[in-house]
Amino acid sequence: MRARSRRARVIAACAAGALAMGVTAGLAGAASADSTSPTPSSGSKSVLTIGTTDDIDSANPFTGYSVAAYEIFQMEYPTLTMYSPTDFSPTPRLAESWTESADHLTWTYKIRSGLKWSDGAPLTATDAAYTFNRIINGKYEQTNYDSYTANMVKAEAPDPTTLIITIKKPSPIMEKLYVYILPEHIWKSIDEKAVSSYKNEPAPGQTTVGGGAFLMAERRTGQFIRMVANPNFFGGKPKVDEIDFKIFKNQDAMALALKKGEIDFADSLDANVYKSLAGVPGVTQFPAVYSEFNELAFNTGAALESGKPIGDGSPLLKDKNLRVALGWAIDRKSLVDKVLGGLGSEADTIIPSMYANLHLTPANPVTYNPDKAKQLLDAAGYKVGPDGIRVAADGTKLSFRLYGRSENDISKKSVQFLKGYLAAVGVEAKVDLISSDALAEKIGAGNYDMFEWDWVVEPDPNYQLSTFTCANRSYLDSGSVTANLSDSFYCNPAYDALNEKQSTEPDVAARTAIVKQMQQMLYDDAPYILTFYIDNLEAYRSDRFTDFVPQPAPNGSLLFQYGTWTYESVQPVTNAAGDSTSSSKAGLAIGIAVLVLVAAAGVVFFLRRGRTGARADDEE
Amino acid sequence: MSTEAAPTKKLSPNSIVRARRRAALRRFTSAFGRDRGGMLGLVIIVVFFALALLAPLLFDRSELDVTQATADPYLPPSRTYWLGTDDSGRNVLALVIWGARISLLVGLSATVLSMFIGTSIGIMSGHFRGVTGGAMDRVTEWFLVIPYLPLAIVLATVLGKSIWVIIVVIGVTSWPGTARIIRAQTLSVGSRAYLERARVLGGSNWHQMGRHVLPNVMPLVLANTTLAVSISILSETTLSFLGLGDPTAVSWGSILETAFDNGAISLGAWWYLAAPGLCVVLVVMSFNFMGRAIEGILDPREQGA
Amino acid sequence: MTLFQEAGVDAAPSALARAGRLAGPSTRYVAKRIFAALGTFAFVVVFNFFLFRLLPGDPIALYTKGRDVDPAQMRALRSTLNQPVLQQFVNYLKNPFSQDASSVKYNLPAWEVIGTRVWPTVLLVGTATLLATIIGVWLGVRSAWARGERFDKVSTNTTLVLYSMPEFWFGMILLIVFSAGVFGLPGLFPSGGLSTPGVDTSSPLGWLNVGWHLFLPVTTLTVIYLSEYSLIMRASLIDEMGQDYLQTARAKGLKEKMVRRHHAVPNAMLPTMTLIFLNLGFVVGGAITIEYVFSINGLGSLTVDALRGPDIPLLQSLFLLFSAAVIAANLFADLLYGRLDPRVRT
Repeated sequence: MRARSRRARVIAACAAGALAMGVTAGLAGAASADSTSPTPSSGSKSVLTIGTTDDIDSANPFTGYSVAAYEIFQMEYPTLTMYSPTDFSPTPRLAESWTESADHLTWTYKIRSGLKWSDGAPLTATDAAYTFNRIINGKYEQTNYDSYTANMVKAEAPDPTTLIITIKKPSPIMEKLYVYILPEHIWKSIDEKAVSSYKNEPAPGQTTVGGGAFLMAERRTGQFIRMVANPNFFGGKPKVDEIDFKIFKNQDAMALALKKGEIDFADSLDANVYKSLAGVPGVTQFPAVYSEFNELAFNTGAALESGKPIGDGSPLLKDKNLRVALGWAIDRKSLVDKVLGGLGSEADTIIPSMYANLHLTPANPVTYNPDKAKQLLDAAGYKVGPDGIRVAADGTKLSFRLYGRSENDISKKSVQFLKGYLAAVGVEAKVDLISSDALAEKIGAGNYDMFEWDWVVEPDPNYQLSTFTCANRSYLDSGSVTANLSDSFYCNPAYDALNEKQSTEPDVAARTAIVKQMQQMLYDDAPYILTFYIDNLEAYRSDRFTDFVPQPAPNGSLLFQYGTWTYESVQPVTNAAGDSTSSSKAGLAIGIAVLVLVAAAGVVFFLRRGRTGARADDEE
Repeated sequence: MSTEAAPTKKLSPNSIVRARRRAALRRFTSAFGRDRGGMLGLVIIVVFFALALLAPLLFDRSELDVTQATADPYLPPSRTYWLGTDDSGRNVLALVIWGARISLLVGLSATVLSMFIGTSIGIMSGHFRGVTGGAMDRVTEWFLVIPYLPLAIVLATVLGKSIWVIIVVIGVTSWPGTARIIRAQTLSVGSRAYLERARVLGGSNWHQMGRHVLPNVMPLVLANTTLAVSISILSETTLSFLGLGDPTAVSWGSILETAFDNGAISLGAWWYLAAPGLCVVLVVMSFNFMGRAIEGILDPREQGA
Repeated sequence: MTLFQEAGVDAAPSALARAGRLAGPSTRYVAKRIFAALGTFAFVVVFNFFLFRLLPGDPIALYTKGRDVDPAQMRALRSTLNQPVLQQFVNYLKNPFSQDASSVKYNLPAWEVIGTRVWPTVLLVGTATLLATIIGVWLGVRSAWARGERFDKVSTNTTLVLYSMPEFWFGMILLIVFSAGVFGLPGLFPSGGLSTPGVDTSSPLGWLNVGWHLFLPVTTLTVIYLSEYSLIMRASLIDEMGQDYLQTARAKGLKEKMVRRHHAVPNAMLPTMTLIFLNLGFVVGGAITIEYVFSINGLGSLTVDALRGPDIPLLQSLFLLFSAAVIAANLFADLLYGRLDPRVRT
């Protein structure tokens, strides 16, 4: 009788206790989250915490190829030159100056003297020569850097401050070799066989050996990466002691973390998440112009490099007039407003407008004009059928597969809009969302009609232009079809000829003219219909850190640039410490109040229960 | 049987059976009518079905087209938009009502499929002794063991993204539970006297299963079906939420998926999250209440104390 | 043991049962169950292999997009993934838990990748299941005892409603209310993850930090699970309370409360516990969606990520792990039932 009601109360008290513990955990957690120094250290330490949704795939510069990995590599290892933050022109870094021989086949770089790696060993031209030669001669090592080294014969270091590279054909990229110079004394002991599985992560308590502004101190896969300042950095010790990358699985979590001060910088935000940060005290939004374009790509006639047709793409899309007509059906402005939330711009050619020097603004722009699209389609011989879908002369319906990428929100949303725009002019698009891997496979095999994807374009246009050459179509390797760079299977000998010219043209002005010509050719032939250039949405705690460097000036990206300018210049705002804890202090107060209330309510409840409950239980 | 004049109708065995069944049905419906939970569930279901059927009359299909949405995104509930707008500016109320069609269609179809498979295998594995029955029981157990969600995800990824695939996937992954229950009931029915007689009189297996076992497990099947519907609807919501449904179809799960992907949480757009979820809860809960009511009527032990 | 004696039923069955526990029917039962479990596992191993071969997608294609992979390199990569199916099957059978199966995405052995992400899932699911069992059983018992009264009606209806909720939706609602903060409520809880980076999770302060991060996801799962467990316990106890042997006990003059506490509840616990174990598959599903919503770096979110590739070696290993866990749980439930309820063994 009494025992039973007592037991009931005990159980309920335990439940209340569990609740109390949870709340206490919450408060303690809120308190502990304010301590931003990972290891107890003497004195105050400034740490910039960057939030990202992409983890690096590998810390090994020969293996990793994600954007996040490249960011880490450029922090750890120096390059000969770096793209300037104002206009992407090559700026001296490891190389103080450089000269080209008269026959354009030998480049000589003067390397700075007196430099040291982070472990004190001398950093000289020998390390640079070692790195280049390793890539030139290594089968695995060239995977990520072949675009730079394919043209190279060898690299030599006749003395510690001179590096000579000989190449096969004249090349405009020798001033912009984005190859990370590695310490020979560390890497020479990792041979060809070991290098593909070498992690390049530091042992506990140590850092990787590097020559860049920051060194890797700790990496927990899927969670965070800690980079500490390199005291031996040739550009001077950075003003921030440590930079942490915290990996989030979704954007909402990252934005909330920024609001609460768990992180100081959030990169690559989605439009809606970015907008939710408006008006948050201490947080500054930064919609950086960016070099990414999104496109609706067509299967213009999939075939192997040898010319043999492959895949099951609709032959109707070989008709240039059809593709060009569809370009007039797309409302790019609406896409920017609705899919990007206004944070982007309408796109025309494949070299984004951020590269002001190289971007071509076509004289014959394609705008949103569904009536014109319909006219062009009629003129091209596609009459509207009884169900509203157009029909070709041979009776085939204009019904195409449109693939979007299931893990990319912009892709998922875009394809819904594209489907609507195409339907409005009588073309049926059957939408399917698949993973990027699955789509890559379909593209390589030519088993698609249309898809939606994006490209991020480097400052040097060579790579992007080359994706449209005949030579970059899929090829046969040991009997199986292997994908190459081309995802539209565009093949135009005139275009190839121009590409050959620009890749060996040393004169900048002449080269720019060729690049613009090539953009016009692609614009007129429409293997892609470009939809928009997307802004890189960043947000950071301006109440804690300052001196971020945009690239290009004035409103380019602050982080994940073609360079480490921000990392070398950013510094804490003085008087910033402790202010951001005020919100969690409020939380603390509220939490304590709730706890007291729950405890009080619990006591009252059980006292009352004790009196009435016992009576009910005893009724038997 | 009346002693008055007139009816010279011959009373055939079939008509006696029919009369008995009709009486049983009447008893059942009046008992069900007395169960408040069950009646509430029934009313809610009827309302949702009505809304689903009337959807095209209430909101034009074009309200689902993103390219024709004119309102601002993420508007909170107001007099023009009772449930606010979504991330593309579409009317959330329209989305939810049209979404009912897919969610209910998939839920019901998948249930029919899983009940059909589960009941057939359950009866057969309970009825056939020896190797056949044992083998079927083994297969049932195997499928019970495989974790449902990973299997469903894999199948949906392999088979592609469409409504029919989801129906098949749910049907194929949820039959074991039913099979188990039906098998147990079949075993207990199998020991009854009249089945012995049917066997002795030379009735084939199919005759026994069809005419004797099936009608006797039917009540259990019925009770199980309502519960199976709630599981199917929850499964469809989960699979659509994870992005495995038809990308252009609007269902409650896909609305939640879009909301989650587009920052509804961090933007505080509670209306966008609450509406489809509450619909799922209401419908599933209603089927659960109905199932419990049916179980309560059919299970003699539940009656009385 | 006491139930037969108190009810005055002939003590012979229990004595027999006790004698037979070490040999005879009991051992046969145990052997039979273990054999059945092994058989099921064998089926799963075979099924597992072929299932994942069906998935579309060529991870190699994406790997090579944008990079100049040496053709020889690619051929080598291809050959490991594209061996004739039969050959792969034989290799797989030789050791399904092979260390050699390398995850394509992470470039590490699949089991190593899984190893690093086991404990978040165990922590999340284990805590939730434990709390849900304690609270759910208590609630079920109280509801059954107070059958028909207001407490029972309220708790049964509430648990029925909770049981009808999609767990990920409930999680999202909790997030928006307690983490983002709506209607002016301050967001006290973190939006996801297991811990703040840099906080040492092996220190007491680190534990509190982890607890803070896990509070919402654990609450979500606990509420959903406990509703199911409480309904099961209630039904099981109601069933039990109607049994004949209890009528005998009551007839002998035992107070209702004693009947309940000493006989009905312990006997009703059994089917409840076994049903809880059997529902482990349900727990796995919950783990997957909740880890996705709360950005927790455990096996559930690993599964969702691996499906994006698809990363076949990783997926195979995960699937095997989940199935093995459920089989083991079923076996444990069967053996436990067999040990505690002599009626099953004979």
